[in-house]
Amino acid sequence: MSTRPPKSVSLLANLPINILLYVTLIVPFILMIYLAFLAWNPAGGYEWWQAPIAGLNNFIRAFSDARFIAALGRTVLFTMAVVGVEFLLGLVLAYLLLGEFRGKRAALSVIIYPLMLPWVVVALIFYLFFQDYGPVNNLFLKGIIGEAATNIHWFLSPTTAFITLLIADIWQWTPFMFLILYSGLSAVSKRLIEAAQVLGASNRTIFWRIQLPLIRPLILVALVLRALEAFKVFDIAYVMTGGGPGTSTETLSLYIYRVAIEYHDISYAAALSLIILIILVAVIRVFIWYSFERR
Amino acid sequence: MSEKVISRRKFLVTSISAGVLGIVIGAAGAWLAKPEVVAEKTVTETVTREVTRTVTVTTTPLPTVTPTVGFDPVTQRAIDGVKALLASGKARPGDTIRILHVAGSRANLEKAIELWEKHVTKDIKIELITLGQEPDVYTKAMTEAVTKAGTFDAVTIFSTWLGDIVESGLARPIDDFFAKYDPGYTGDVAPIEPLGSYTTLYKGKRYALVFDSDVFTLSYRRDLLTDPKLKDRFRSEYGKELKIPDTWEELIDMAEFFTKLNLTAPSGGRVWGAYFYAEPRFAAYITWLNIFIEAGGILFDLKTMDPKIDTAEGKYAFDIMLRLKPYMPPEAITASWADLYDKFVKGETVFTAAWPSLSKEAHRHTAFVKDVAGSAVLPGVEVEVAGRKKIIRAAPNPVNWVAVISNYAKNPELAYLFFQFATSPDMGKDVILEGVILDLFRKCWFTDPRYRPAFEEGYGPEFVDAYLKSLEISFPDLLIRGGPEYLGKLTVNVNAVMAGTKDPETALSDTAADWDSINKKYGVDAQLEAWKSLAELFPSDVKEVWKAKGYM
Repeated sequence: MSTRPPKSVSLLANLPINILLYVTLIVPFILMIYLAFLAWNPAGGYEWWQAPIAGLNNFIRAFSDARFIAALGRTVLFTMAVVGVEFLLGLVLAYLLLGEFRGKRAALSVIIYPLMLPWVVVALIFYLFFQDYGPVNNLFLKGIIGEAATNIHWFLSPTTAFITLLIADIWQWTPFMFLILYSGLSAVSKRLIEAAQVLGASNRTIFWRIQLPLIRPLILVALVLRALEAFKVFDIAYVMTGGGPGTSTETLSLYIYRVAIEYHDISYAAALSLIILIILVAVIRVFIWYSFERR
Repeated sequence: MSEKVISRRKFLVTSISAGVLGIVIGAAGAWLAKPEVVAEKTVTETVTREVTRTVTVTTTPLPTVTPTVGFDPVTQRAIDGVKALLASGKARPGDTIRILHVAGSRANLEKAIELWEKHVTKDIKIELITLGQEPDVYTKAMTEAVTKAGTFDAVTIFSTWLGDIVESGLARPIDDFFAKYDPGYTGDVAPIEPLGSYTTLYKGKRYALVFDSDVFTLSYRRDLLTDPKLKDRFRSEYGKELKIPDTWEELIDMAEFFTKLNLTAPSGGRVWGAYFYAEPRFAAYITWLNIFIEAGGILFDLKTMDPKIDTAEGKYAFDIMLRLKPYMPPEAITASWADLYDKFVKGETVFTAAWPSLSKEAHRHTAFVKDVAGSAVLPGVEVEVAGRKKIIRAAPNPVNWVAVISNYAKNPELAYLFFQFATSPDMGKDVILEGVILDLFRKCWFTDPRYRPAFEEGYGPEFVDAYLKSLEISFPDLLIRGGPEYLGKLTVNVNAVMAGTKDPETALSDTAADWDSINKKYGVDAQLEAWKSLAELFPSDVKEVWKAKGYM
């Protein structure tokens, strides 16, 4: 006799979670897709269901929108830079902290600390750090290049303003990489390492040939998660530079926010969001295929 | 809205008669009604009404009037309105009015709440929903327009946003409340016109209560500008007098002079010659727009709605700003709007321009420039009109916070009454003077000797007259649908030019292209109608130049 309940009972039991899923995730997503094909503006004097159909106009407009394309390029650059640096720093820190030493617990706490701070606090801290008379110029750089340090205006040049965003992000998110990589490296069997040592392998060989290959799935997870987050960066750009000078540090999320909220061009913002979603899905899929599925 | 006009004599006679009658009725009531509480209440209300009316008709200063004895009629009507709502059960003790507002106005609103609890009731609570930056308020307001969740009863907004807020369905028309409670929008106590109208009316309906006025004035370090040694030195170096500048060209020379002196401010920081807005978030457009308008520029063609900013006047405005740039602190291009306040209050800039609240901040006892901050009308641009050279002066009037009642409010009438109370002549005076970003807007505060000294003390002796002159030459923000978007695009481009990431020509053509697409988005014809009406509100000197140039 089968112990499985009838199908109708299973369906009924799953109904609440399905409803919740549809209401909170699928319906809004479908709505966003629908909005992307409209020309709806909340200040237009009509509701979204009364908005005229725009067809593909919003998508065509996106590919001729220089500001959008510049923001896209900038965000890709930002993502590659921060994820790369955070990965390397996280890996180095994780490796260094693998051994036992006095004060290890304190060191772990200190490293993880930035991750616990709200983003707005991090952005404000770095905004103040990089002011003309802030500690970066007045304490750190002054000791190296002298009085000329106070003439460095970090937020006035597009390049230096962008660098401040990178530094703030790396400071806050390196601990995330560290945590994942540290847990992975800690979980590598000690027997394997000891066996390699008995066979005369150097630490470098053990790291490259045993530890790193074994944590490869974790590395992939860390990179994907972090890249997804970095690609959506909004907070630090909003608080530290406001996207300026001009639009030179405007990220994709900040631009879409402005389109949707400041310019209340909701349909265009929905189209931009869809384009980003498609790009992200494609990139991540290729990345997963390259790392796991190709033979 | 029509208003019944009565003569002062008739009003006086009627008032005194009403007062006497009130006293008689009150006395009779007190005698007839045995419960002492009822009798006491009746007498109090009668006395209050009589004093109020006497104050209204007299021009004699009444410095000793205490708030509990009698208020101006606007305040009194708000108080009576709340009591009537409570008595009728339309409002109940424990009801809460939720107000969405920006952090800068928190001190103003907290003062209003303090006065409300003291003079109106503690039974109706006021809850403030404070947001950090100005654009956040717009964001939340527009979100509420879409979600219709009733998360707040009222919101204070930039008047520039009014078109969007109304069209989105968020703003509740308040003509009915105006008729019922009369917030004092006519006569001597009325908000200054045309500001009182164009910031609160949309398509002929009233949607807002004025809570602020925002005309820019020039603020300067009087001690430096009147220093005899510096005057001599400037004369010998530039062959001109060191004085309040009449034109931007004069100001550039003075800004250069003071910057090169490399003076140390009372705060210990460096003194810069000038600080005018060029920041990326929302204020960069203000300085540019002022110079552009003074140079005879017009934003849109009055026949076609084509953007007219990619013109000689637009380039001239950039030219002035770029020539000023070396004499301004770099933060002018990167920091938020409040940094300008900070630097001037510390004595670190000689010339600057901002909202009236800058003068208020500069005269607080903690300000380094408390005794040396001067105010004047903004410099102008020399323009040739009909073969004659003339200095055209204008003053931008950006922002103007107004209070809007939400269509989805749980307590719209109470929310309205709170704002009538908070913006009334008597209460508004304290709310404005003790807070930060909201500034004087009622005519009586400039002219009535009961109020004027307080504002002279709060804003500085030179300010009140300089502000009145500035009001006369003020021009409105872009109060048409999509106003924030037009100005947002301009701000981004002005900031880019000042940061050196765009040249003025590209910035102007980019802005014109952006504006053109916004026009199309909202419909050129509708936008043109709105722009034509708005253009009429520009100062007469500016319109004269437009006519001379064939723009109008």
